[in-house]
Amino acid sequence: MSSWLADTITQAQTIDDWLSPKRAQSLALLEATNWPNRKTEAWRYTPVNKIERATFKQTSTLQDIATHIPNLDAIDLVFVDGIFDAAASSKTFPAGLTINQLADGKDHDWALESFKNTKPDRHFFGLINDTLATQGCIIDVANDTAIEQPIRILQSFQQGSQSHTRILMRLGKRSSACVIEQLQGDSLSLNTSFAEYQIADQAKLEHYRLALQCSEAISIGGSHFSLGEKADLDSNLVGFGSQLSRVDIDIIHAGESAHSQLNVIYLLDGKELFDLHSAIEHTKPHGTSEQNVRCIVADHANAIFNGRIHIHRNAQKILAEMNNRNLLMSDDAQINTKPELEIYADDVRCAHGATIAEIDEKAMYYLQSRGISRSEAQVMLSFGFINELVDMMNNQAIAQWLRPILRQRFADMEIR
Amino acid sequence: MLEIKNLQASVADKQIINNLDLKINPGEVHAIMGPNGAGKSTLSYALTGRDGYEISQGSATLDGEDLLEMEVEERATAGLFLAFQYPVEIPGVSNMEFLKASVDAQRAARSLEKYSSSEFLKVAKAACKQVNLPLSFLKRGVNEGFSGGEKKRNEIMQMILLQPKLAILDESDSGLDIDALKVVADGINSQRDGKRSFLVITHYQRLLDYIKPDFVHVLADGKIVKSGGPELALELEAHGYSWLESYDRNAEDESE
Ligand SMILES: Nc1ncnc2c1ncn2[C@@H]1O[C@H](COP(=O)(O)OP(=O)(O)OP(=O)(O)O)[C@@H](O)[C@H]1O
Ligand SMILES: [Mg+2]
Repeated sequence: MSSWLADTITQAQTIDDWLSPKRAQSLALLEATNWPNRKTEAWRYTPVNKIERATFKQTSTLQDIATHIPNLDAIDLVFVDGIFDAAASSKTFPAGLTINQLADGKDHDWALESFKNTKPDRHFFGLINDTLATQGCIIDVANDTAIEQPIRILQSFQQGSQSHTRILMRLGKRSSACVIEQLQGDSLSLNTSFAEYQIADQAKLEHYRLALQCSEAISIGGSHFSLGEKADLDSNLVGFGSQLSRVDIDIIHAGESAHSQLNVIYLLDGKELFDLHSAIEHTKPHGTSEQNVRCIVADHANAIFNGRIHIHRNAQKILAEMNNRNLLMSDDAQINTKPELEIYADDVRCAHGATIAEIDEKAMYYLQSRGISRSEAQVMLSFGFINELVDMMNNQAIAQWLRPILRQRFADMEIR
Repeated sequence: MLEIKNLQASVADKQIINNLDLKINPGEVHAIMGPNGAGKSTLSYALTGRDGYEISQGSATLDGEDLLEMEVEERATAGLFLAFQYPVEIPGVSNMEFLKASVDAQRAARSLEKYSSSEFLKVAKAACKQVNLPLSFLKRGVNEGFSGGEKKRNEIMQMILLQPKLAILDESDSGLDIDALKVVADGINSQRDGKRSFLVITHYQRLLDYIKPDFVHVLADGKIVKSGGPELALELEAHGYSWLESYDRNAEDESE
């Protein structure tokens, strides 16, 4: 067993709180699971041993991390190094919205039920998070309530920190909300950050996970959704990649006629790695799901996408679509993409495609015919390929904030 | 201005343009008419340098400069503009960004200073209004989801912004409603200053009612088979292209 894992288990055994019965289950699973290595399918391209090798040393100087999103009037829940920062967080919430700290979950029966309910046990670091996460929040939206103001869960990570946070959210019937999970901080730190969302019948969630940690950061987490009947999920993931970035997304269509959309952008440079595993479970008939995953990979960076669509027996009349397009900017950049389709119903439409995107010569000619040089046109088109998904974001403040950041990152990739 | 001599062009190993000659002087408006598949668009692609359009023979110069030696973008900055018959949709690239990059390139080639963003915004808004497109079209992806007529107006807007020496308008009038036809024609006329030249490809006389051409040519089987004044367009409208076939036969008889 890895010494990091041994320490983790020892540490976990000391935690005693309202989640202890659930934590014990995960602890038992962890003890029976091998530390992932390259032979572990789910971790084939992502070297977890980096965690073993890293020494986490906290420094006292605070870094300045630019997290402000102009024109976004959000309910802020701020965590620094995995610890709630009450002073920086919003204090009042609109009617129908209840937000509590994870530690206070004992007063909310639904929270205990939700814990580990949506996130599958197969995620190794999800189990770790189960046992160690004592910080985070529980968010409850009442039935028939539309929360107009976006809820932003902002996590920044300083040099040397190790942290584990958990978000539990319940959206009542016919309610709607927008949640932004924003993770930033580039220096060497380790965090596991998992979120579980229960979206009741006819409820609607607009979701953003902005996984913007670069460079030395080690960031592992997931967003897991369960959709009731006619529920609607519009999820957007933006990933920058670092020495180790891993996100697992599970979207479980638990009710009939639910709809989910997952748009993913990653932009990787240097030796960065970003590993996304998505799984869409259609358990009931008449659902639709769409995934658009696009990445641009430069230099020696490595993008991994494992996209699973599982259509259960009797889940008829499903429309599931998965598009993965990748743009490689250097010969040393790597893309490892693997669709996994498991279809047990016969009356379904399931389309998937993974392509290495090429520059559209017609578009290139059109731009050049206006006097734009081939190299500039190339940048415009490559960026356009990513920006198309930014254009689709419903929240304009986020889209406007992201565009120049993505553009700058893309320009930096060009230079090399 | 534009001088094409004995031009032969092929696409996919198929020769489409055969020994074509055409001379356009500064300030002139020439119209080209001709049946579907005659090679009108092929001529515009060959002149603008589209990949895959091979020139096996002949020459084409713009103000004495050899077009055929230039890259696509160099032809554009030399003053050649093509309003596409089928404008290309580029999702993810905003019309505004595209227009700014195009105008920047043109201004750089003319040793003019770049517009600042706010200056350009003014210029772009004015052009947008001139072709009667809502300003929201500046924000949308290039031609993305534009209707046929909106695409054509967007092409004319680009011409207005780029101020080319020679504009080739490939069926800029097809698919337009009556009002839009007037907008497009006005857009073209607004650019006529006695120096700029136009090559207007069209199937219909009605555009030529608005834009009085100096010359009308008939392109068939890759060459110009007849040239005349504006009355030729009226004649074609009256007789159709079957009249050309007899013209073709006569020509063949003569050459034998
Ligand atoms: N890539 C290609 N491969 C094969 N044939 C082609 C290709 N591109 C054009 N052609 C052929 O060249 C001929 C001329 O086409 P072109 O588009 O120039 O006609 P046009 O005069 O513009 O017609 P229209 O009035 O319909 O626009 C047509 O027969 C067309 O099918
Ligand atoms: Mg044509």
